[in-house]
Amino acid sequence: MLTRSEAGQLARQRAYRVLLYFLMFLGCAIMLLPFFWMLTTSLKTEAQAMRMPPMWIPSKLHWENYILAWNRAPFGRYFFNSFFVSIASTVGEVFTTILAAYAFAKMRFFGKNALFAILLGTMMIPGEMLLIPNYVTLTRLGWLDRYEGLIIPWIVSVFGIFLLRQFFRAIPDELWDAARIDGCRRSRFLWRIVVPLSKPAIFTVGLFKFLGSWNAYQWVLLMTNSEKMRTIPVGLATFSSDIGTAYHLLMAASVMAIVPILVLFFFTQKQFIQGIARTGIK
Amino acid sequence: MLRNVMVGLLAVLLLGAAAVAADEPVTIEFWHAMSSGHQPNLQKLVDDFMVAYPHITVTPVYQGSYSSLQGKINAAVAAGNLPAIAQVYENWITPLESILYPIGPHMAPGEAEDIIDGLVPSNTFNGVLTTVPFNKSIMVLYYNADLIATPPATWAEFYDVAKSLTADLDGDGTIDRYGTALRPAANPEQFLTFLDQAGGSILNADWTEVTINDAPGMAAIQFCGSLIPYTFVTSEYISDHIGKIAMFIDTSAGYPYNLTAANNAGFQLGVAMLPVGPVTQGSMIQGTNLAVFDVPNQTQAQKDAAVLLARFMLRAENTVFWATKSGYQPVTKSAYELQAWKDFVAANPYQQAMSAQMLLGFSQILHPNYGDMRTVLSTKFDEIMRGAVSPLDGLNDMAAEIELLLEE
Repeated sequence: MLTRSEAGQLARQRAYRVLLYFLMFLGCAIMLLPFFWMLTTSLKTEAQAMRMPPMWIPSKLHWENYILAWNRAPFGRYFFNSFFVSIASTVGEVFTTILAAYAFAKMRFFGKNALFAILLGTMMIPGEMLLIPNYVTLTRLGWLDRYEGLIIPWIVSVFGIFLLRQFFRAIPDELWDAARIDGCRRSRFLWRIVVPLSKPAIFTVGLFKFLGSWNAYQWVLLMTNSEKMRTIPVGLATFSSDIGTAYHLLMAASVMAIVPILVLFFFTQKQFIQGIARTGIK
Repeated sequence: MLRNVMVGLLAVLLLGAAAVAADEPVTIEFWHAMSSGHQPNLQKLVDDFMVAYPHITVTPVYQGSYSSLQGKINAAVAAGNLPAIAQVYENWITPLESILYPIGPHMAPGEAEDIIDGLVPSNTFNGVLTTVPFNKSIMVLYYNADLIATPPATWAEFYDVAKSLTADLDGDGTIDRYGTALRPAANPEQFLTFLDQAGGSILNADWTEVTINDAPGMAAIQFCGSLIPYTFVTSEYISDHIGKIAMFIDTSAGYPYNLTAANNAGFQLGVAMLPVGPVTQGSMIQGTNLAVFDVPNQTQAQKDAAVLLARFMLRAENTVFWATKSGYQPVTKSAYELQAWKDFVAANPYQQAMSAQMLLGFSQILHPNYGDMRTVLSTKFDEIMRGAVSPLDGLNDMAAEIELLLEE
């Protein structure tokens, strides 16, 4: 039998929980609204897509938008390129980031801190400023309209190095001392002990890289001229012009473009959330 | 005698060699920013060109939006890998004048003269027709034909209609329907159109003085200022808000979007020529031109092929085909006389106003700093129309900032 004060406390707790769930539901709804609009717009006619105020659910579902959108550009090739470039860039960046972050976190060498400060300083330079110099450099290397130009410049990330360095620094030095006593070399220690312990952070670096690469538009457009080298975001841009946008087709193509990302997120959300929680990224 | 025969043979050999060289296969790239809706029609023109000139292969390369195309051209200038031909806005290439390959001197007699008069100045550098117009649109008046039986024909009528149709329909204290709408931040060409109609210009003829705040400029800005209470000011497409606007000035290229929006809003869309201003009925032409680049990575054969492509696009039947499929306007006088165009206009009455307006069009000036001047115009015009600054003060601010750009 609950006392009156206990019953009151329980009621307050229930009310608090209801309020909490309501706010979370509201937050979810707000976050999902653009996706819902994207999905329903992909099934509208052009006129319905332009309607103001927006028509949320079309009277008839126009699945043919997906076929029309698919046929507007060589999306099959774009998907292949997006996958190939994103995976190669991610693998490359994770590899170089692990090596650099370990060196900055655990090794002693002359000018380490100064070098790290310089490296961080490069983050202050807006990417747009470097577009043309990088384009000129890669053109001279003969990497225009080639996978090398889309992948190699992006396999190093200062942000990734910074993130992993912070994570690696939290790993106790005693582990290295113990490993060294057992005759372990640095490379073995890195790949067999440090990396497995840092999986969430490495996953985060990889996932951010994959997303960034999947969504990359300006660089791909700049570095490529032929359809066979272009990626999905370039395909999406063809639905817009300065005078208007074919929203219904753009949204159909966008739905197709985000499906792989959603699948990736469903399979990796645990690591993704852990990585964010442990590395403090917001 | 023998000597004459030898000279004759040599001449024949040289001519033969030249003829062979002229027909040697050549491949050129054509950079453009046409969205996927336009690409099949552009490809059709390119295919027709390649049938007419079988030794030339043209690869159209989509380079994203106009701003992406501009960025790519700038990067390619630095890297030295420009294409043979590209779609360009005037203000992108005024700083690149020295690397343009003039098309005019390679045209047949009468070809250059056939280009619509209003398009010639913006394609002429130092008296030489250097680029040629390609996809051009013109500002026209769109109106709600259910509300407006006869579109306004003068500034005074435009003001009266805008004022009379601005209304708080439900009596809640906010305006539900505006007489007109402007996109000052995105489309300062609306102000430049009023400026031209008042007889003004940004600079004097030899670009030595800023004239935007002379008497015509003041008349134009005061007219815009008088419309503020009846104007819906937005940076978005006007078609997104068409249901609450009685009439507006917008590009002819936006017709399909405006029509769809009007149908959605449940009213009949009318298209008319702009109201006549104090001096002219001019309207600013927008859209891009074709430029051929005179750069080391392009051979003479490639430049010649690019010139042929540019000229091919100007042929009456081709500019008409492009106009009927894309919504842009034909760019040559002879195109407007072509039966195919007349048939198209007869089948699409809204085109009558657009065609008539096009022939009264004017283009932007070719000053190297026009791009920056346009930014000043859009910023200040937006401030004026949003009431952040008085029209005359805003106009004087514009003039002062353009003066600085002129001195650069």
